[in-house]
Amino acid sequence: MADTTITPPSRAGLTAPPAARRFRHLTDGRLAGLFIAPALALLLFLSIFPLLWALYLSFTDYSATRDVPSNWIWFQNYTDLLSSAEVHQRAITTLIFVVSAIALQTLLGFTIAYLISRRTRGRGALTTLFLIPMMLSPVVVGLFWKFMLDAQFGVVNSFLTTLGLGEAEWLTDKRLALLSVIVVDTWQWTPFIMLIALAGLTAVPKYLYEASEIDRASEWLRFRHITLPLVWPLLLIAVLFRAIEAFRLFDLVYILTGGGPGVSTETLSFHVYKTAFLGFDTGRASAYGILMVIVVIVLAQFYLRYLNRLQER
Amino acid sequence: MRIRPYRVAAAVAVACAAVALAACGGGGGGNAAASTDFQSKLSDKPLTLSFIWFEWPPAHALEELGKEYTKVRPNVTIKVNTVPIANWHDAIFTQFAAKKTNFDMPILDSQYIGEAVENGNILDITDFAKKYVDRSAYDPYFLAAYGQYPQTKTGEPTPNSRTYGLPLMGDTWSMIYRKDLIKQPPQTWDEMIAAARQCQEEHPGMSGLAFHQANATDAAAVTYNTVNGVYGGELWDPAKKQIEGIVNNAAGKKAMDVLVNQMKPLTPKGSGNWFIDEVNAAINQGKVCIGFQWIGAMPGLLDPKSSKLGTTKEEILQKLGFAALPKQDSDYVPLGGMGMHISKYAPADHQAEALNFMKWFQQPEVQTRWAQLGGVPGRKDVLASKAFLDAAPYNKVFTDSVPRLRDFWNLPQYAKLVNIQTTNVNAALNGTEKPDEALDKIASEQQAILDESK
Repeated sequence: MADTTITPPSRAGLTAPPAARRFRHLTDGRLAGLFIAPALALLLFLSIFPLLWALYLSFTDYSATRDVPSNWIWFQNYTDLLSSAEVHQRAITTLIFVVSAIALQTLLGFTIAYLISRRTRGRGALTTLFLIPMMLSPVVVGLFWKFMLDAQFGVVNSFLTTLGLGEAEWLTDKRLALLSVIVVDTWQWTPFIMLIALAGLTAVPKYLYEASEIDRASEWLRFRHITLPLVWPLLLIAVLFRAIEAFRLFDLVYILTGGGPGVSTETLSFHVYKTAFLGFDTGRASAYGILMVIVVIVLAQFYLRYLNRLQER
Repeated sequence: MRIRPYRVAAAVAVACAAVALAACGGGGGGNAAASTDFQSKLSDKPLTLSFIWFEWPPAHALEELGKEYTKVRPNVTIKVNTVPIANWHDAIFTQFAAKKTNFDMPILDSQYIGEAVENGNILDITDFAKKYVDRSAYDPYFLAAYGQYPQTKTGEPTPNSRTYGLPLMGDTWSMIYRKDLIKQPPQTWDEMIAAARQCQEEHPGMSGLAFHQANATDAAAVTYNTVNGVYGGELWDPAKKQIEGIVNNAAGKKAMDVLVNQMKPLTPKGSGNWFIDEVNAAINQGKVCIGFQWIGAMPGLLDPKSSKLGTTKEEILQKLGFAALPKQDSDYVPLGGMGMHISKYAPADHQAEALNFMKWFQQPEVQTRWAQLGGVPGRKDVLASKAFLDAAPYNKVFTDSVPRLRDFWNLPQYAKLVNIQTTNVNAALNGTEKPDEALDKIASEQQAILDESK
């Protein structure tokens, strides 16, 4: 019988190859540190440092354009903002926008995804087609919707007139302006919800539907007890992402209405922009930004806890 | 030596802080006051002298004029960078905030001077102007409004004022009327409204009036200021820094009432967000009887490619007439236009070149050429010259309007003040606020801004 036992050579006779010897101070730990250093540097430079800097500025009366030293004013900016009627008004406008836009986008996005998921032919092409608005720059979307919604020269009113429905002042009527912003945002971002919902719908195990068919469950019962509960957590994550995005809406408002008529479509982000760049109240604008970050973090925490509880069930 | 992660993080944080401090530190190499011996600092190396302005016809005309300057200074190229008008202030002042500019000569609106001077962003050219500019050649109002600070009364120079810029582009509103539909230009504001109403009634599909109403920059604010001036109102008391009780006095309220209840109903539906381009488009499409527009934006009205009023400029001019604004209780017209200034953060050789450009620009023949290209010069002799008056059909409007000009406040708080005014006038025009309420809000909010700065 052959002897397959390999006797290890004695360690004393071994020497490390030249390259390994040269880098022997590079332990696994050090190497890991070096590898993450560039990413860490970027994160610190582009995210953490500006955030901390903004936090510092929020306690001062600093102005980016004034050549005078800033004063430390503690929580003055925060108390001014939290007690400002202007800020309350913008918060209500933002809330109306976020709730309406997200509700509409979720309803439409899920419906479209559900309908697409039931098709076997052309599903890929349809999905790609529906995703196009999401790929466009919000500024481009804002500009072409601004032209389309123009009361005098826009194609929307022209179409409505052809149908005998009359013209509407989409961007200058106080009741319609915010609705127009919601509609345009919905047009652009419904595909995002649709995409996530579609991923959830296609992941539902087929055998559940097969079992329900054997039990002669109706279409509604299958939707209510199989589809919706399984897709719901994923849908909620999509809603969370969209809600955070919608909460800091700026570009569409800037392009479509400029916050008008009056201030009826001014969102919190738009107001931060005005605070920061009209008169350059940098300290106050920083406090405004920090408050918005805090609101998002707190709301997201509540939301994630609910989501976790839902998944634990 | 073992590299600990927290040491890496600390090193990166220190590097970040160093970069940030460097970014916050002063950039540029210029001085706060311009030297009078700038000629010794002129460079013979290739140099691009860059301006920043907003996108409109005079910006292109200035770049065209720059080719004339290149004939005198062959190593210099003039580049006029433009931004959308809504970003104009921000594009300049965000760079000032960074203390580093990618432009040498900002074209500042007359009201931006206070902010730029108080923040130390532009060169003091007082000594240069005394030595190289024939100030008697200009209407003192122009020199004050486009370049001097502080002013005790808006637009009027004071002995202590320093000079920070020189007139580049004069401007005011002109009334554009359809002379094929309205035989004589109305002489009073009330007559103008009556003529617009009659024209609208007689020509279905047309609206009586078009003017700036947008909630952007100074659009709706200038409209209100114009009507306020015509009806004998005042914007503020500069000596007392008082706005409350002045802008919203009886004359001010009358002006707001006329604007919202008499003029607005004569405008096209949905025109509540109109600014320069939209007013031009409405006139070009033959949709309005009377329009109000800045003279600098008027070349767009004579372009047959974008007009339905005629296939040639001559045909268009058979239908469009231009006149100075009608008077009423007073005769003020809004001052538009801008001065040219020099960034404190531009390199020394660029600052010297900018001063040389300013000196060159003051010559009558250069200003005449500027007028031929579509600019509106500041020199009195050029404004009265046949060459200027014949250069464009609306140029006479400007010459006639010069004694009637009135500007906003040119305080450092201008951006905040004008935002309050534009937002609330826009709200009144679009029915989100009642006219009197909007005016009272303007007065109280603007007063609060001025009180903060006292």
